[in-house]
Amino acid sequence: MQLKRALAAAAAGLLAGGHASGQSAQDDTSTNVDSAVLYYKESERVRAIEPELNVSYKIDEDRKVNFGVVADSLTGATPIGAVPSSQPQTYVRPLRVVPLGTPMTVTTASGGSTVVLIPPATGATTQVIGASTLVPANTLPLDHGFKDTRIAGHLGWEQSLTETVKLAGGAAYSHEHDYRSVSANLGLTKDFNAHNTTLNGAVNYESDSSFPLGGTPTPFTQMSADWKGSNVSKHEVDAVIGVTQVMTRRWLATLSYSYGDSHGYHIDPYRIVSVVDPATGQPTAQLYEDRPDSRRKQSVFLDNKINVAGSVVSLSLRGYKDDWGIKSFTADARYRWQFGEDYYIEPHARYYRQGAADFFRYFLVDGQALPQYASSDTRLGRFHAQTYGMKFGMRIDRGSEFNIRIEHYSQHGNGSPAEAIGQLRQQDLFPDLKAFTVLVGYTYAF
Amino acid sequence: MAERADVTTQFLAMASPCIVIVDTPDSALGAQAGEIAKSEALRVEAKFSRYRPSVVTSINEHAGRDVEVDAETADLIDYTVLCHQLSQGRFDITSGALRRAWKFDRTGALPSESQVLEALKCVGWGRVTWSRPVIRIAAGMEIDFGGVGKEYAVDRALTQIRQHTQVPVLVNLGGDLRVSGPRADGSAWRVAIEDVDRHGVSAGLLELVSGALATSGDAHRHLVSGGVRYGHVLDPMTGWPIADAPRSVTVHADTCSEAGLLAKLAILRGAGAEEFLAAEKIRAWCVR
Amino acid sequence: MKSNCTRYSANRRPEPAGRMRKRGELRAVLALIAGIAMLCGAGCSTLGAKPWEHDLMAEQSMQINPYPLESASDDHIYFSKEASSGGRSFAGGGCGCN
Repeated sequence: MQLKRALAAAAAGLLAGGHASGQSAQDDTSTNVDSAVLYYKESERVRAIEPELNVSYKIDEDRKVNFGVVADSLTGATPIGAVPSSQPQTYVRPLRVVPLGTPMTVTTASGGSTVVLIPPATGATTQVIGASTLVPANTLPLDHGFKDTRIAGHLGWEQSLTETVKLAGGAAYSHEHDYRSVSANLGLTKDFNAHNTTLNGAVNYESDSSFPLGGTPTPFTQMSADWKGSNVSKHEVDAVIGVTQVMTRRWLATLSYSYGDSHGYHIDPYRIVSVVDPATGQPTAQLYEDRPDSRRKQSVFLDNKINVAGSVVSLSLRGYKDDWGIKSFTADARYRWQFGEDYYIEPHARYYRQGAADFFRYFLVDGQALPQYASSDTRLGRFHAQTYGMKFGMRIDRGSEFNIRIEHYSQHGNGSPAEAIGQLRQQDLFPDLKAFTVLVGYTYAF
Repeated sequence: MAERADVTTQFLAMASPCIVIVDTPDSALGAQAGEIAKSEALRVEAKFSRYRPSVVTSINEHAGRDVEVDAETADLIDYTVLCHQLSQGRFDITSGALRRAWKFDRTGALPSESQVLEALKCVGWGRVTWSRPVIRIAAGMEIDFGGVGKEYAVDRALTQIRQHTQVPVLVNLGGDLRVSGPRADGSAWRVAIEDVDRHGVSAGLLELVSGALATSGDAHRHLVSGGVRYGHVLDPMTGWPIADAPRSVTVHADTCSEAGLLAKLAILRGAGAEEFLAAEKIRAWCVR
Repeated sequence: MKSNCTRYSANRRPEPAGRMRKRGELRAVLALIAGIAMLCGAGCSTLGAKPWEHDLMAEQSMQINPYPLESASDDHIYFSKEASSGGRSFAGGGCGCN
């Protein structure tokens, strides 16, 4: 029976080969429309809705082209970087510039801030309208009225040069009211060992321009409603090399190394760091943050896909390190539980932990020497995070699918660091972040 | 049995009469399915043709030099390599060169020993360098997929129809056939087996609910000389027809490619054909 | 500029004990990856499946990135809430949120 079995497997494989015209479901169709809507909600903070669309079209056996758009609408409150205090605090930020003498009534802007007219400097012909926010006692200062819409688009193409070599390239553009980004990428893949091994390499170049509302503040100067400096920019080059290997009939593994180098403006122009009294811990000043003007990062990524009786287990690990002193570790696991041909559910869990950047500071202390760089952005701090989610998918036709995924993300850092002084010991300097997401997707192939 | 509303498409491909039967009352769908099978059969025939410009003629014309092949051809070559190994070298796609000695025409003449030895010099997969996706055959050699091409075409035609519709279908390319499953009402397809000696005469009826049938044998090409029947299946090791091979072997398997290969492997065993089929528990019929 | 950063690190606060655990994890990841890479390098031609055994690999669920919109969406969320980026692929354009 050995020979018959071997031959049966061989024949089955030959016919499953899928290289000749129109074998597998995906190859049979030439156009693929992929759409999704993401709903993201942080408890008491930011909320976002993000619809996205990607269309790919196979011109012929060797060439494929794709384009996509994403719209990102973000509203809600976000921390400004200041520490909470046992006493109320006020902060102002500029909204827009108007000609001198513009009549104005004081109104309430969104999110509980008050619109105020900032007294102009002598001899000035324009005036700034700012928003003044009162932060109640023992509350983390947030910037309400945070509203932003981003539109991004990308174009890509892929071409087989030979049976084993493929070239791909693309460009992307992203625009929001205070930020613009343009990027281009190029990649090459080559297959070896009868398509069991694939080597790939790619480079990406990105150029970003930032034109913050209110202008670009000078780092370590006191937060004010003055209209500040001009636009700034940042450039980044990234490269990745990787190998994907068919380990066995049921196990596919991929390993990659990425390197990125960026130069330019990395500061968050809206963020400040509180300066506190060395005895009481009460904030005495709010200084605009400062970050280095370059960043070099590296990461190693390992991903595995294992077919277990028709269901698929995905396990991935990533290690990251950059020259800001941040190191992180990510572990991600999914189990796609297939029910027949058409339905699946996929539970998902992700664990992430990162160390703080060298220049991360919860606050600065009045009287001490200023460090070279400082930021209280908790995204650069030390924390661990977990994601738990469940996805449900339904196949509608060859290559067409509907799916819905619900996830919960929570981030936990140290809210009572040892260096807290005075009233800061009673405050939570790193509140937990909790977010809930729903992603609905629909893919249609024809 | 009442007349069923089958839609049939008939055409000529691979020098054989072909028929596609679709069990559906929808004549447009039946015609479409028939057309799909026909174009796929013609595509495979053209791609691996020994006569018209094709992948095969390209490889043969460039004997002695490297030729890079596409994925489908590479898959087919890999498959024939496995068949070569499983048959301990008796199945060999380079054995076509023996045609230079064995004409199997109406003159009924046998080749001489030296003619056979001359042709044998250009036979042997061992002389081929195959490192996917590049193949190099030695000067003077030739390859042909005649041993697997028709069955592969049957399987591909059926797969193509299946991408389009799930209605019950039977694809028959010159006697090598495959069904998608039972008929619409659950009953079996009825297939007539041709008599080995009498062309066009039925020797029996087979009922098929699944899988494929392929036949290997000498029914239409053979020589009779000095009272001895020489079948057209040649042994690539000796250059002579397989001794004591059955007149025909029909195998039933899940796919036509598998059935065709098993039938050829059985014939290549010569006297041991039935033993081979029994040992491997293959559903087959031998005619001696 | 790199020189600024190295000068700065001399003034760093003493490392909290927890950092050692993170470093250990990073080392574990690198060791595991180095092991697999060596295995691959040594016998990549013996690893793998015959061409006719690639049937399961053709399934969409076995692709490395079967749902690109979902992973792009995830990458964007994690990029805006965490300090790390990259690994799987490049983002299609920055968003100024990190």
